[in-house]
Amino acid sequence: MSSGSVTEAALLEQLSALADGEVDPADTAVACARWRDDGRVRASWHAYHLIGDVLRSEDLAIEPSRDVAFLAAVRDRLSKEAVVLAPVPKAERGFRDAGEARPNDAGARTGRRWPWVVSSAVAAGFVGVVGTFTLTRPSAPVPAEAQALASAGSPTLVASRTDTAPTAVAASTPAPARSLALDVSGVVRDPALDTYLAAHKQFAGSTALGVPSAFLRSATVRNYGR
Amino acid sequence: MASRATSAFVLICAGLAFAPIAWGGEAAKDGGPAAQARDVRGWLMRIHDAASRRNFQGTFVVSSGGNVASARMSHFCDGANQYERIESLDGKARNVFRHNDVVHTVWPASRVAVVEQRDLLTSFPALLQAGADTVGDWYELRQQDDERVAGHAANVLVVRAKDAHRYGYRLWSDKASGLLLRADVLSARGDVLETSAFSDISIGVRSQPDSVLQAMKKLDGYRVLRPVLSPTTLEAEGWAIRQVAPGFRQVRCVNREMDSAGDVAVTGGAHRVLQAIYADGMTYVSVFIEPYKDNHHGRPMHAVMGATQTLSMRQGDWWITVIGDVPAATLQLFAGALERKK
Repeated sequence: MSSGSVTEAALLEQLSALADGEVDPADTAVACARWRDDGRVRASWHAYHLIGDVLRSEDLAIEPSRDVAFLAAVRDRLSKEAVVLAPVPKAERGFRDAGEARPNDAGARTGRRWPWVVSSAVAAGFVGVVGTFTLTRPSAPVPAEAQALASAGSPTLVASRTDTAPTAVAASTPAPARSLALDVSGVVRDPALDTYLAAHKQFAGSTALGVPSAFLRSATVRNYGR
Repeated sequence: MASRATSAFVLICAGLAFAPIAWGGEAAKDGGPAAQARDVRGWLMRIHDAASRRNFQGTFVVSSGGNVASARMSHFCDGANQYERIESLDGKARNVFRHNDVVHTVWPASRVAVVEQRDLLTSFPALLQAGADTVGDWYELRQQDDERVAGHAANVLVVRAKDAHRYGYRLWSDKASGLLLRADVLSARGDVLETSAFSDISIGVRSQPDSVLQAMKKLDGYRVLRPVLSPTTLEAEGWAIRQVAPGFRQVRCVNREMDSAGDVAVTGGAHRVLQAIYADGMTYVSVFIEPYKDNHHGRPMHAVMGATQTLSMRQGDWWITVIGDVPAATLQLFAGALERKK
């Protein structure tokens, strides 16, 4: 493992990046191979994680002797505890084998658990349905009669049946006068339009405010990556 | 596609960046309306300060028009330095790293990086101070009962638009730090057009600037693009804009290179586009002007994505595109106010 200090430094840097989760798959494979073959690399790897732990939490930056003392104290106390020796009841073993034939109190508990599981499963299914509905909303072109319905009022968004969906769409989104140039995923089909959006939002990113502005930029300028 | 759905939150925050500047010198006034404005200003200042000065890390989710996108976001403030790291969690991997005014946007899969140097910060205050209007003239703020967002108790603020030219907002601001935890963009009817929120967030985390700085040094093997914006004025480019929507004033005007195929200044076919930006203190509108080309520009178009509206149309030999998180009628006002002088 002495193929020159430059390689060594580069490797360590790569290892550090790997510990931070910043290395692409190809480099990861290389770094892992070096880790496997070289004990010193493994030691560095451990050191990086230790550094990372300490950086993340001051609780982890304690003297090792404290751990040793704690462990010794625990062992000491354990050695003084009385040892409880009790036979396993037959019924308990039977329950484990048969699964649901658990006696009295325990059986009641199992029974009580089920309704909750069932209702949560139903709830999950419901959420799934609602989620699907919400996600498909924008892709559906708004029918003219639905728009008329919406302008007549009743902006209710409680859609439990599919046929009420168009009303909800018209009621909750401002219906554009002309072409809705959105595809199913809600992304503008016209790439040029994307460019304008990017430029518009890039400007937002250049204002005095830090965080969200850059976030916006990141989220909209997708064309560079082609 | 993680891409689009993020605008509301950012627009709000971008707006908030304007806000304190626009309000400069107004706070001293007494009386009812001024007190109201000071109240609005106080809250928005608090949110603005928290976003730039606090250290935080969290997952950010944006939903608009039925799309959901999320990103992991870290922000560190270390004395005068600000660091930021944002990773998209949906669609194509894309990371943003910012150190003060240098911003890297990186696509690891295609090995493309866009590097931008922001010199725009200085140009804002002067332009906005020139105006006497305040955000309080166009928005009013009302506080609602506290709610809980991402595990934090939050003040709930309703920012209502006083006229039909802009949208309203509902903001959830962390009680302890002031950080914006959630933002809804509301139509005039009170419908939610776009929601952005942290699903989880740790505020006051340890600063880790190296996680940003290290990444910014790793551009080896990347195709690095450096888009250039050159400042100009509408007048210098032969344009005049009569009366724009009330409350909006121009904050910037630039020439930028754009490719009609969709890539900004990536290929040789780039052409120059004039962009003028107008802000009302909370939100802003971009007006793009370029020569009309038959093969590139089709029919007039109006697109809606969440709270963001886009209007494109031909005007004589020119192609006009107006974008903003405002009602379509407001964009129409901008497009209609453009006048060719030469």
